[in-house]
Amino acid sequence: MTEARSGSGAALEVDLAAKRFGDRLTLGAIRFSLSPGERVALLGPSGTGKSTLLAIAAGTDRDIEGHVARGAGRLAMVFQEPRLLPWRSLTDNIALIPGAGGPERARAALVEVGLGAEADAWPQKVSLGQQRRAALARALAVRPGLVLMDEPLVSLDAENASAMRALIRRVLDETGAAALIATHDRAEALALADRVLVLGGRPAVLVADRRSPLDRTARTEASTVEAAVAPFFSGLESGVLSDA
Amino acid sequence: MHPLQAIHHQMADSRASRPGSRWRGGSEVAPGPSLPPILRRALWPIASLAGLIAVWWIAALIADAPVLPGPPEVLEAARREMAGDYFFHLGATVARVAAAFALAMSLGAAIGIALGMHRGADRYFSGWLTFFLNLPALVTIILCYVWLGLSEVAAITAVAINKIPNVAATLREGARALSRDLAEMAALYGLERGARLRHIVLPQLAPFFAVAARNGLALVWKIVLVVELLGRSNGVGYMLHLHFQLFDVATILAYAFGFILVVQAIELLILEPWERYATRWRR
Repeated sequence: MTEARSGSGAALEVDLAAKRFGDRLTLGAIRFSLSPGERVALLGPSGTGKSTLLAIAAGTDRDIEGHVARGAGRLAMVFQEPRLLPWRSLTDNIALIPGAGGPERARAALVEVGLGAEADAWPQKVSLGQQRRAALARALAVRPGLVLMDEPLVSLDAENASAMRALIRRVLDETGAAALIATHDRAEALALADRVLVLGGRPAVLVADRRSPLDRTARTEASTVEAAVAPFFSGLESGVLSDA
Repeated sequence: MHPLQAIHHQMADSRASRPGSRWRGGSEVAPGPSLPPILRRALWPIASLAGLIAVWWIAALIADAPVLPGPPEVLEAARREMAGDYFFHLGATVARVAAAFALAMSLGAAIGIALGMHRGADRYFSGWLTFFLNLPALVTIILCYVWLGLSEVAAITAVAINKIPNVAATLREGARALSRDLAEMAALYGLERGARLRHIVLPQLAPFFAVAARNGLALVWKIVLVVELLGRSNGVGYMLHLHFQLFDVATILAYAFGFILVVQAIELLILEPWERYATRWRR
């Protein structure tokens, strides 16, 4: 594969011919790009290869046929598991990241996600929702040009998920970062993204690339999002999103 | 205990319990919440030790022979030796233990981590590791004295060579178990080499260092005595040899107990507090 700075000014350009694990072809030809500040959901049932595609976009998986380019600016990622260092306090988890700006900025970032009181706690002594928020704070503390998020709301209860959704929208508004958000939940895709890529089939390819009808204000309303789901996804073959 | 068993024991243990609770064995049963924690922790070991001394004392009274002296005779011998060179010899041995321990821990850890991280190297050198793990301590000691002469360098080298394979085997397990998720996170966020080592690799290896250190101390000090017995003219091992020739069991025990106290003090005052500190983040 080749990897380069994007020449076109895009935040991310993926031009994948194939991704194999051994003999098995997991991802087929996939091509898309993100403009600066654009928020794109990557939707598909579990096991389609969303995480693999995120790893390819992040450059942690370079064993591919094709190439990936990222725009100027830092890269950050919110992993499905928070991947905090259990032996460092929440503040230190952020402060030790290059470009995060040290302990003071780290504390401010934690206050931002509502973890001011937990700033000195060990990650294992706070809830999963709180760990997720700390991981989000870490990602945004580096003032990234592009954030990759892998199922940022999975296994959170409804209340926590809705609070986290609002938080993600707010911090993306503030930093202006482009975001690629993997999810298996249609409503979540429409609640967060300007555009939705649908991944499906075997090997997985993009079966749809649609712009959301909801603007950034409209999608903050849960009922508006609910009402938009059915018409937006109509025409997509059933089964592609079977567990969505 | 085999080092690997020790790791599993240790890992299972520390995962299951609150930080440090494994050292507070029996604190639930011990009476009096008014006792300071350090005393409560020491209660059971003290009771257990008192029992052992009682058994020894009774056996000595029954035997009533110079080859099995009781506690008073040993205390008397210790007092006599302390007026002489007791602390000089104890110090010489402690210095050798410290040097050999430091050498074995640093070299063994470097080798073990390298083997754990590079599968090719591990495949090639694991035969070597097995060879050195099974090489009898006495053979290493004799060969070192033959090849390097009856010197301090030979003595410390011999002890270190005995200990390095154990440390390497333990740390190899640790390095194999390093989290790929965290390594990936560190790479993505661009952490420097030094920061990765300090914040990501070493904290994951800390329990393995603790096991290697604890097993290491026990092994090193036993081998140091043999090294001293065979080719040094000071130290506890040398004094044991001397009094063995005189059949002076009371003095032999006086030196042995002095050394056990030193090793226990290192365990209680250095290793355990460090381990509690290093695992304080566990839930």
